[in-house]
Amino acid sequence: MIEFTIDDKRIEAEPGETVLQAALRNGIEIPHFCYHPCLSIAGNCRICMVRVKGRPGFHPSCNMAATPGMEIENDCADVTAVRKSILEFATLNHPADCPLCDKAGECRLQDYNFKFNGSPSPSVEPKRHQSKFYQINSRIILDRERCILCSRCVRFTNEISGSGLLGIVERGSHSRVERLEQGGVEDAYSDNIVEICPVGALLSRDFLYKSRVWYLEPVASVCPRCSRGCSVNVWRRQKNWQLRALGKEKNLMAYRISARQNPEINGPWLCSKGFDLHKLINDAPRALTPMVQGVPCSLDDAIATVQHLILDTKKPAAVVSAWASNEELAVFKSAVSSWLTVYSGADQEPEVGEVVEDQLLIKADKNPNRYSVEALFGKNSFDAEAGHDLVLVWGDNIDYATLGSAKVIHLATLQPKAGRAADVLIPISTMFERTGSYTNFEGKVNRFEQVFEKPESVQHAVDVFGRL
Amino acid sequence: MTCERVFFTFEITEDSHLLPAYRKRGGYEALEKAIRGMQPAEVQAEVAASGMRGRGGAGFPTATKWSFLAKGAPVYYLCCNADEGEPGTFKDRWIFEHSPHLLVEGILLASYALGVRHSFIYIRGEFDLSYRRLMNALQEAREAGLIGQSILGSEFSCEIIVQQGAGAYVCGEESSMLSSIEGFKGYPRNKPPFPAVKGLYQAPTVINNVETLSTLPWILRNGGAAYAKIGSEKNTGTRLFGISGHVVRPGLYEQPTGYRLKDLIYQDAGGIAGGKALKAVIPGGSSTPILTAEEIENITLDIDSVAKAGSMLGSGGVIVIAEGTCMVRLLQVLTRFYAHESCGQCIPCREGTAWMDRIVKRILAGKGVAGDLERLEGITVGITGNTICALGAAASMPVASFLKKFKHEFAYFIEHGRSLNDGRLEVQL
Amino acid sequence: MSCLTDKFDELRKIYPEEIKSSMVLPLLQLTLKEKGHLTESDALFIADYLGVPAMQVKEAMTWYTMLYRAPVGRHVVKVCRSIACSLCGEERLIAHLIKKLGIEPGATTPDGRFTLLEVECLASCGTAPAMQVNDTYHEQLTEEKIDRILEELS
Repeated sequence: MIEFTIDDKRIEAEPGETVLQAALRNGIEIPHFCYHPCLSIAGNCRICMVRVKGRPGFHPSCNMAATPGMEIENDCADVTAVRKSILEFATLNHPADCPLCDKAGECRLQDYNFKFNGSPSPSVEPKRHQSKFYQINSRIILDRERCILCSRCVRFTNEISGSGLLGIVERGSHSRVERLEQGGVEDAYSDNIVEICPVGALLSRDFLYKSRVWYLEPVASVCPRCSRGCSVNVWRRQKNWQLRALGKEKNLMAYRISARQNPEINGPWLCSKGFDLHKLINDAPRALTPMVQGVPCSLDDAIATVQHLILDTKKPAAVVSAWASNEELAVFKSAVSSWLTVYSGADQEPEVGEVVEDQLLIKADKNPNRYSVEALFGKNSFDAEAGHDLVLVWGDNIDYATLGSAKVIHLATLQPKAGRAADVLIPISTMFERTGSYTNFEGKVNRFEQVFEKPESVQHAVDVFGRL
Repeated sequence: MTCERVFFTFEITEDSHLLPAYRKRGGYEALEKAIRGMQPAEVQAEVAASGMRGRGGAGFPTATKWSFLAKGAPVYYLCCNADEGEPGTFKDRWIFEHSPHLLVEGILLASYALGVRHSFIYIRGEFDLSYRRLMNALQEAREAGLIGQSILGSEFSCEIIVQQGAGAYVCGEESSMLSSIEGFKGYPRNKPPFPAVKGLYQAPTVINNVETLSTLPWILRNGGAAYAKIGSEKNTGTRLFGISGHVVRPGLYEQPTGYRLKDLIYQDAGGIAGGKALKAVIPGGSSTPILTAEEIENITLDIDSVAKAGSMLGSGGVIVIAEGTCMVRLLQVLTRFYAHESCGQCIPCREGTAWMDRIVKRILAGKGVAGDLERLEGITVGITGNTICALGAAASMPVASFLKKFKHEFAYFIEHGRSLNDGRLEVQL
Repeated sequence: MSCLTDKFDELRKIYPEEIKSSMVLPLLQLTLKEKGHLTESDALFIADYLGVPAMQVKEAMTWYTMLYRAPVGRHVVKVCRSIACSLCGEERLIAHLIKKLGIEPGATTPDGRFTLLEVECLASCGTAPAMQVNDTYHEQLTEEKIDRILEELS
């Protein structure tokens, strides 16, 4: 370990760490725009500069190896004056858009200006104008007036997603971020640049103007859309900011998704499908009413019908959802599985046109918990030749036609496909309506917290199992 | 007054730049002497003994720079910086046009000394005759067995590749030049790592100016100690001083370091055009602080003397300004230059150079307001020392020094909306 | 573009494979000479030929002053406007050229003969004022000299 001081406080750095990395790891704030732990060092924003005792001037801490006995001055008048200068330059042509900028409340430029530069701009020049709506792709727009050219987005597309989509063209004050107009590879990770953009330049079209971030709060969850099981934050409206005037839909929807830092599984990144999780939460056509033979009924009637079917069956089977949580699977195993032949279900297959698998995050298995299902119940998928007369289907996207002539009890979150109705349909809760965990393709367990209350007419699957 | 000359040693004719003429004046004797009779370390020792300091503008001791090269690497590169773009500077061009073999021999000598197998010449894209004569010289040298495999029958092999620039002053900055040679836009690089450790394609690299390398044949032929006897003690040898602007005989003059600046202006260059009085001098290319006529009284053309006067010898490109010139207009010629040439990578330079140019332009348009001069000074403070490369400081020094020495002209322009000197740039003859 | 590829192949002989990226600027300059100006397609073609990222070539293409991205006239008249030339009458000469050619700096004459540009230091300070027409330097200029130079150009 390398021992040095920052403002006379003793800090230990790992070999190879920069002063900035060591400082951040020890909870010391050194402002930075262009530095990102997962990207190459750019050293272009200059705001991380500190004073080093024994050397004249100021030096960027992001590019400075920590050496033994180094004495760094960070929180002092000189260094603050330099940061104020940098901020004056950075905001020279930056539009005063805060009142309508999505990034407000989580914007480094705002935060650093409050901390290091309390004064109005010394410039009397009119601000230069550029495009406020440059299309990066179908999901993201760039407001060039706000961009401080930190190059995080460029480095991301070069070093992480590999699409090479973005670059900085032209010279001097004409520099601007631009995309390849032709021949670019689609980038399945583009939304990450919205997250890593330190200002409100890169904007998600989906989230544009939807809400002020300080009305929202993140809830830890797991993305179920492939077997990587990336950690995510689902952003919902804080309870004390749920106002009657907004209406139920706006108070109780998922506003946006962000990547949740998880060094074990996804680092700080997430793919576009993960970023679109809120659409799954908000817009999925839910099954909300118990039904017998397609006719709505009470839960008690549905359960009663189920119990009759179970009494009559000679060769029952169950198809278990790979979207079931570990906790639900445990209850199922102890409460139900003993008297059924259990098969593994695969609710979701890769869709046409989507990335099946890549080197970064995306896995071909588009289900979150197949690992646990197969560990508990084996790998067999439903055998239509086995002569089952009753199938307990747990999960979505099942075509009843594949189940042969068996009667179907369907525990579903989504409205079933058109066609033959299930004998009994019982709507159940989604993962976002309870706590639990998934086990990803590598066997890593990842917990998710409850985001919303389940609809009243819907059951938790474990409660249903108890009544079978 | 005669003294040893390194460059102006022959009469320029139609053929004097060609190989036969070069050989007649001792060309490639040094290379032969080095390859046949000296170890690389001995060549380096001669350069150290010469006291040679880089001629590109920074004046860094050449042997010291060479000694920084990381040891034991599989590949080394030498890059010759021929991107001569500092306004007021036109000396490397002379070497290309009139004695390109000096550079070729110098590159080969340096490559031999440093264990370099591939060297690059980064020549600015605008140079036309210079480029053609360089390419011709390289072909002559190659045909004479002086470039390529087994030079002069020895084990020393060296290739020279010429890269042309494409119009960017900042590519004269060493790390920007490396970026450009590697096939990128010319973004300078943060240091560390320094080029001597990780330079071109991450290999240890030495970057030297054309004039520096072109001096090596003389040093190796006559000995480092002989070179150290010429000129000033701490800044040895001769230099190609360029002088331009309001003088009678602008041009290039080779003089020993320590030569009086006033002699260069009034003897060599024939004094001020139109018999006018001297107003100001920029001593070493446009990036160096401007000096008033009074301030240059005792300056000698060596690094320390000019530094003591508050400026820099830089590239040795002296720019002379006569009385009656509008310093506000002249400053905008410079702010416009640096704003155009800023690479755009880092916040202070990208925003600051454009901002300074806008303010000075606004003053020139008669729309200067109170606080403009303080703003300009504040910008120079905000840029200097806070950038990735020295272009930021280079842009700031003219602004800061013009404001310091000629504040009254700027104040007048702001107050009255017009120039104290009728906006003159040219000398009225 | 096949004739270009032949020229590219010739250049490739000079550069060892491990430094092939150094060919980006030379290939851009070669293409510029052939086509007069560059577009993103040219950048993509070069990137493909070399096996380097397309954006790298596009960025380089947009960053250097001499790489034109819009059509230029047969003769590009580049007048130096840096300090020495400014002190020696550049504004007088540019005014003369504007009047003579009938265009502002940055524009091309309607007949496609001349493009007029103001450029930065050409390293002709000792022989100021100077300009460059295509590749050729013209120094110690006067209005008359400029007239003679222009007359001789097709």
